[in-house]
Parts: sequence; structure tokens; C-alpha cells
Amino acid sequence: MNDLRRGLSVALAIARKDAISELRGRQAAGSTIFFAALVLLLFGFALGPDSQRLALAAPGLLWLAIVFGGLLTMARLHQLEADDGAFEQLALYPVDRRAIYAGKALAGAAAMLVLGGLLLPVVAILYGVPIGGAWLPLLGAVVLGAIGFAAVGTAYAGLTIRMRAREVMLPLLMLPIVAPLLLAAVKATVASLGGDPLGELGSWLQLLVAFDVIMLVVGAGTYGFLLED
Amino acid sequence: MPQTTIYVAPRLAGTLGTIPPAVATVELARLFGRSAALAGISLTVEMGRVVALLGPNGAGKTTLLRICATAIRPSYGFLTIDGIDALQQPELVRGRAVYLSHATAHYDDLTAEENLRFAATMFGWGEREGWPVVREALATVELESVAGERVRTFSAGMRKRLALARVLVSRPSLLLLDEPHAALDAEGMALVDRLIGLWKDAGVTILVASHQAERVASLADATVRLEAGLLAEVNGAGVVAGSVGASPRPRTAVAAVDR
Repeated sequence: MNDLRRGLSVALAIARKDAISELRGRQAAGSTIFFAALVLLLFGFALGPDSQRLALAAPGLLWLAIVFGGLLTMARLHQLEADDGAFEQLALYPVDRRAIYAGKALAGAAAMLVLGGLLLPVVAILYGVPIGGAWLPLLGAVVLGAIGFAAVGTAYAGLTIRMRAREVMLPLLMLPIVAPLLLAAVKATVASLGGDPLGELGSWLQLLVAFDVIMLVVGAGTYGFLLED
Repeated sequence: MPQTTIYVAPRLAGTLGTIPPAVATVELARLFGRSAALAGISLTVEMGRVVALLGPNGAGKTTLLRICATAIRPSYGFLTIDGIDALQQPELVRGRAVYLSHATAHYDDLTAEENLRFAATMFGWGEREGWPVVREALATVELESVAGERVRTFSAGMRKRLALARVLVSRPSLLLLDEPHAALDAEGMALVDRLIGLWKDAGVTILVASHQAERVASLADATVRLEAGLLAEVNGAGVVAGSVGASPRPRTAVAAVDR
């Protein structure tokens, strides 16, 4: 019980420090959100002015923008550790490494959630998609997607932090793994927006939950090894 | 002069109540690619001793300290810290062996105080009990007046002082100090000397790597000189070397084993 409480306080301390750094380094966080919004705008141009087509493509484009912005966010959260050699110090603290993973993943999930939350209204406005009535299932999909993306992203950012070409390696390694997450999240979003006539929303959300649980367990189990030299 | 409380790890008794050595290495070697940063070092350090690690650049001082801190693993050899097998149970060594590295390992967008509070939490201090410990450490390194400023604005010397404060909020039995005097002004260097004295009085074993040979030699019980990854010279009390001087396996030979 004591170990659990200690692990929790360690994870919260790490997440808190990352959140403070993100909020104070507003430039970086702001540009990520701006970049993701710009991606949505450009997709809009690429698809043309046909409003029906835009609305149809909206769920997929929303998640692609979240993925692009998320890749930057995940890389940045680990860059904080690399800047002044803090990653090695983090590895040397007498704490359970699963708690370190939990803290970094928590910070990542929170950042992803903010990103997703801000992009939803952008999609609604740009592509003319009414999200008002479906906000609860949409929120569920975004929350579960954010957790899963952060679970994978934290582990892979830990893996690539010591690599020279980490900016390229992170998406290269991560994107194939998050493909099922992307699929389930897009399908859940489509179902939420369409009023779920086939009653499939539940299954896609369940798939997201399963993905999140598996990736969190695998991430927590492997992150300790990534901290080793 | 501000009050400075030194926190130390509880001592561990060895088998049959004997006192285990603070550091014991057997043929410790570490390769980076094909070159050996450490080429086989056997060294035993008694508990509570201050040992100066001397030697030219690239002699292997930092590598030895990082292996003792469990930051990197040796390619060959054995290592015990306070009688604990550091290669089998590194998690038991962390927290007992505390490392002050070249990199100051701060978070730039956090204030000095936030950085230190984070470190205190990671070293196991609770929210309430850690608070006075952090304040006192900041006062000791004379950063109280800038405690609320972001580390981004700090000079190299101030960053180093903050790193020293992080060591003050830990509870070590073994300190591994890599160039603790580097980047500090005369006052800062005197502060390091004072702290080393306090840690020594508290029974903490200290390995200190430095290019300021005279300065650290005057603080140390023993000096160990490394050259090209091997022990070149061992003097003083509390340190026993396995094979001093003679180099049974030169650098390239050890590297060849790996191929």
C-alpha cells in the first residue's frame, strides 16, 4: 500500500513538472496546436468546397491532425528530459520505474486531451460538422484515444530519446503501432456523429479501452529497460 | 553561515556483522564501441573514506563514477556498493549512491525551488517534511534569493549550486562527485569543500573526480590515479587496489575480446 502511494506521488510529481514546463513554454505548445489546426485547414483545401464530402471526411481528418500534433507533443515531453541530461538523473532516482512511466504517460495523455479538445471545435467550424448533440461519445473517443496514444508515445519517445535521428524514428516506429487505435477512434467518431444507427459505437469504444489497457501494461513493463543505458 | 543538515542512508551490516566495503570492483571494464574507457579496474574502498580520482582527460574517471552510480553497466567485471551487488540489484543501490554529474540535469522552465522540490519528492521526502529540507538546501548553496526564478536564467555556476542542493536533499551512503568544483567561483569552491567535510563527518563515502589535484588531495584520505582506463597509482588510507601499475591487458587487447 505504501509502495502504491509512493508510486502515485512520484507519477503525479513527474506529470506536474511536465505540465508546468508545457504551460510555461507556451510557444511550443501553441505552435503544435496551430500546426494541427493548419493541417485541418489544408485538408479542407485539398478536398475542395463540397460540404458533404468534407463532413464525410471530418472524423478521419480530425484524428490525423491529432496524430500529427501528438507526435510533436510526445517528442517534446521527452525533449525536456534530454535538454540538460535530466533523463539520466530521472533513471537514478530511487523510484519504481513504472511510476516514472505513469507520470510521463499521464502528462502526455493530458496534453493530447487538450489538443483533441481544441481541434474538435475547429473541425466543427471548418467542415461544418454539428458536434453539439454527440459531445459525450465524442469526448469518450477523444479521451480513450489520447490515453492510448500517450501510452504508446511515451514508451517510444523513451526508446528514441538517445537516438540521433529521433525526430524521424519516433513517427516511423510509432505510427504502425497506433494504426488500430486510429481505426477504432475514427470509427467511434463516425458512429458518434452519425447518431450510431448500427449500434457499433460501444464495440469501437471497447476496442479503444482494450488497446489502452494493453499498451499501458506493455509500456509500464518495458519503460524501465529503456531508462537503462 | 546557514545551518546545513546532512541526511545519510542507514548503514548496512554485512554477513556476520562485518562492515562491507563501500565500493568493491573486480576487473571492471567498459567499452564504448571498440575503445575501452575502463580496461579492468579492481579497487576496494572502505566505508566513510574520501577518495580523490585523478587523471588526464579520457582516463576513465567519469565512466567509473557512472558505473558506480548504476547509470551505465560495465562490459565486464563485478561491482558491489555497500555489499549490494550493483549489477544484479541496481534498484537497491539507487538512492544510496548519489551522483553529481557534469550535466546539471535541471528543468529549465521550472524555478530553482520547483526543481528541488521535485528532486525531494523523487528522493522520498513527503510533501510536508520535504519543504524545510528544500528551503535549507537552497540557503546552504546561497540560492535563496533566486529560488523563485526559472533555471533558464541561471549562470553555469548557479546551476551547479542547484545541483549541489539536489545532492543535499538526497540520503546517500556513497557520493560520486564528478568535477564538483567546475564552473564555480572561489566562494562556490569553498562551499563544495565545506560540504565534502560535512558529508565525511557524517560517515558518507565520497569518490570525487577532479582535475584540481591539489585541492581534492587535501580533502581526501586517499588518491587514485587513472590512466587510459587503468589504475596507475593508489596512495593513502582506506583504499586497496587489485593490480596497480602493471597493465595486464592494454586498451586494445580488451577491445579485441569484444570482437
